[in-house]
Amino acid sequence: MNLECDVLIIGGGMAGLVAGTVSAKKGLNTLLLRRGQSATANSSGAIDIIGYMPEVSEPFSSPKEGLSTIAGLYPLHPYSIVGYSDMVDPDRVVDEIAGRVRETVNWLKKNLRKTVSPLKGSFNHNIHPITILGTTKPTCLIQETMYSESLQKDDDSALLFVGFSGHPDFNPSVAAKTYLEDRLSFGEPPRKVGRCILETAPFGKSYNISSIEIARHLDHETSIQDLANQLKRPVEQIGASHVAVPPVLGLKKAVENKLRLEELLGVEVFELLGFPPSVPGLRLQMALESIFRKSGGKMLVGHEAVSYTRAEDRVSGVLVRAPRREIQIDARAYVLATGKFIGGGLNGDENGIREPVFDLMTVTREYHSAEGILPTRFTNRIAISPLGQPVYSCGLTVDPYFRPVGEDGLEWASNLFAAGSILAGYDYSSEKSGLGVAAVSGYSAAKNVLDYIGEVT
Amino acid sequence: MNEDEAYEYVKGTLKKERIVPYQPYELEVVKSVESCINCGLCINHCPVVAAVGLNRFSGPRSIAVELSRSPPEFWSTADTIYLCTGCGTCREVCPKNVDIPEVVNLIRARIFEHRPDLVPKGFSMIREVLTEHNLAFEPWADLEEKAESRDMRLEKLGLPYVEDRRTDTARVLFYPGCQAEERAQEVREAGKVILDYFDIDYTLLDEMSCCGLPAKLIGDNKTSRLLAEKMTEKVKKLGAEIVVTTCAGCTSNLSDLSHHYEWGIPTVHLLEFLVEMIGLERLREVMDHSPRQEQVHVTVHDPCHLIRHTSRQIMDHALDILRQLPGVRVTESNAIDSCCGGGGMVSYHSGDVANAVVRENLEAIHKTGAKKLVTPCPLCTAQIESNLFKAGSSVEVDDLTVFIAQRLPKKR
Repeated sequence: MNLECDVLIIGGGMAGLVAGTVSAKKGLNTLLLRRGQSATANSSGAIDIIGYMPEVSEPFSSPKEGLSTIAGLYPLHPYSIVGYSDMVDPDRVVDEIAGRVRETVNWLKKNLRKTVSPLKGSFNHNIHPITILGTTKPTCLIQETMYSESLQKDDDSALLFVGFSGHPDFNPSVAAKTYLEDRLSFGEPPRKVGRCILETAPFGKSYNISSIEIARHLDHETSIQDLANQLKRPVEQIGASHVAVPPVLGLKKAVENKLRLEELLGVEVFELLGFPPSVPGLRLQMALESIFRKSGGKMLVGHEAVSYTRAEDRVSGVLVRAPRREIQIDARAYVLATGKFIGGGLNGDENGIREPVFDLMTVTREYHSAEGILPTRFTNRIAISPLGQPVYSCGLTVDPYFRPVGEDGLEWASNLFAAGSILAGYDYSSEKSGLGVAAVSGYSAAKNVLDYIGEVT
Repeated sequence: MNEDEAYEYVKGTLKKERIVPYQPYELEVVKSVESCINCGLCINHCPVVAAVGLNRFSGPRSIAVELSRSPPEFWSTADTIYLCTGCGTCREVCPKNVDIPEVVNLIRARIFEHRPDLVPKGFSMIREVLTEHNLAFEPWADLEEKAESRDMRLEKLGLPYVEDRRTDTARVLFYPGCQAEERAQEVREAGKVILDYFDIDYTLLDEMSCCGLPAKLIGDNKTSRLLAEKMTEKVKKLGAEIVVTTCAGCTSNLSDLSHHYEWGIPTVHLLEFLVEMIGLERLREVMDHSPRQEQVHVTVHDPCHLIRHTSRQIMDHALDILRQLPGVRVTESNAIDSCCGGGGMVSYHSGDVANAVVRENLEAIHKTGAKKLVTPCPLCTAQIESNLFKAGSSVEVDDLTVFIAQRLPKKR
């Protein structure tokens, strides 16, 4: 069985879906393969651009500030790539980088506006939403349901953390305690924090409840009214001005549910950021898939790229495998957005780190070959630390057009582009830049794909 | 005691210890569990969890990280393991593609072997039929009545009758599957109508036998293997070049058998055969002369065994085919992680769970506003049709093979 298309995107996370949508919106026949779901679907649903400088514990105040620092110190960072092209005046490197990231941020906000995951936040400053642990983290864009404008500004704000009985993913006491200690140490509002536990029973029992069950339950007609009835008393008791719920406000109607609750209770309601399997991560994934499909892109879910064929300096085709079928797909340009270790874009074992589809050259953070390294030697003992994990910085290195390069420093193929976490040179876990790099590199790779296809025809 | 004797001795204790060693072909499944990262993404997508909650069905993550790791005490999972409909959604969304549906079969096989008392009683009837008749549905006692039932169906659907063909020189083996053979006869007849219309050199089996999937899902590996071997023998003896079927479950299972038993020929669904062997252009030309030109608004249900166990491309074929049919307007349903609930033999013992699973689909079907639902699988057709009927819906359900055959012109 054979298929043909203009652009074949390999990978269905943030990078692949952004690249695919940009390409499909330009009228190119775009096909996207996805093997399993991505790290995007596993994320908290917040889109970080850049939160920290590696090894520094004070967060950046804005993406712009972060990007200027990154551009100066790490010219090979995926964000820096767009600035260090021959076409860019050396004085304008930072402006070029910031400009591209700002463009991507605005593109995401605009395109996701009418989806289940509309976004709040701006390129001009980082925001600090609260997690289910009661800590805060710097990020650029969050879903509207997670946003509170006034909580940390109003001097007399009081926050109520709400948990659900039988829902093991969130403990409001721990979160309230951690958050209050944190705010008191800064001497900033809110100065009053409370907690309560509500009863919910999506299937008649108030134990063993998963986040997704509550989210689907709250999408039903009467559930929000019931929640508001239960919340009335605790809200009055502590005089709450804000209510924080775990990220379960709904799957398809989360924004609507937030507004409804606010109307019924007269307080501001928002979701906390959570761990996988997170409902907002799922909403973000669903939203990205819906804009891709609406733009005319076609998804081939459950298919994995396994090998390729070459014609001179181009990739001519990719062999794709489904559980019990194989398909040969020929495209004019290819975007490799297969992710890192979770997504299967890179495999690491005792024989080194490899890229399994095209066997492209992999490098370490220092841009030495990663083909013979022992991944275990590239880890730190402390799982989450400002030092990060060097193994996360391994990946592909690309030219200014986002085309993976070989040992000679030249592009490996003229029509193969790469985007997302498969790229080397950044550590999303310590920088807090994961979905940001994915979106910006996906957006940039697609622009280069459009130029490339424009040139060949 | 020498080494051989020791080996024999240990082997002799396996039964007592309730251990079933893994077969080589099972090891890949077992190994896939090692790559589970415990992220729980599958829980968000599992249609059974969505339908009955985590407290009733502990979900795919639990199958991967808990139930799979309970040997030899697999019996302790019996309250959960039979509720999986085997739709394959978890494996498809899993970042590591852990083969959870096959883990379920592995566990069921071990419970079957050592704790038959825990195997759902609802399976006893179908097991009897399988072992006695080599079919998943009890055959008609009176063949004349069977023919009458068939003719009634043909008349109601406006399909012509095409004589059964049985030759040993045919290039195509048409395998309708048990359900179309004994129950949904119109699907079998429609398959013949289509193949005959395009002058395909096809044959039916001399004696129909089950592909073995239901036995495998029950955990009865012995029966499943016997049926698979029987099928292999028939296919090899016939020497056909391709097997064509009209059932989703048969498509994926026969594709498996073809691989494991080295048939050397592919098995495809009739939809694939239409697109890849006959071609959409040819179909379009033919359909221009279709006697049925009336407008009809349809929606489509994607059978799990086609999209998640074989390839999603097949349902793209289905949409392409529908676009060639005159007067047919398609609205796709937005039930993404959907399952008709009829899979995994769940309906045989926990009808409430099966029906709760299908409910999500019913809502999505109604939302499309379509007057008719088509799906290329007799099992999905039956399961959705009966649930729509019970819900008092006016949406009609047709097997897609029948829907296509109805629109073919009369053969000259």
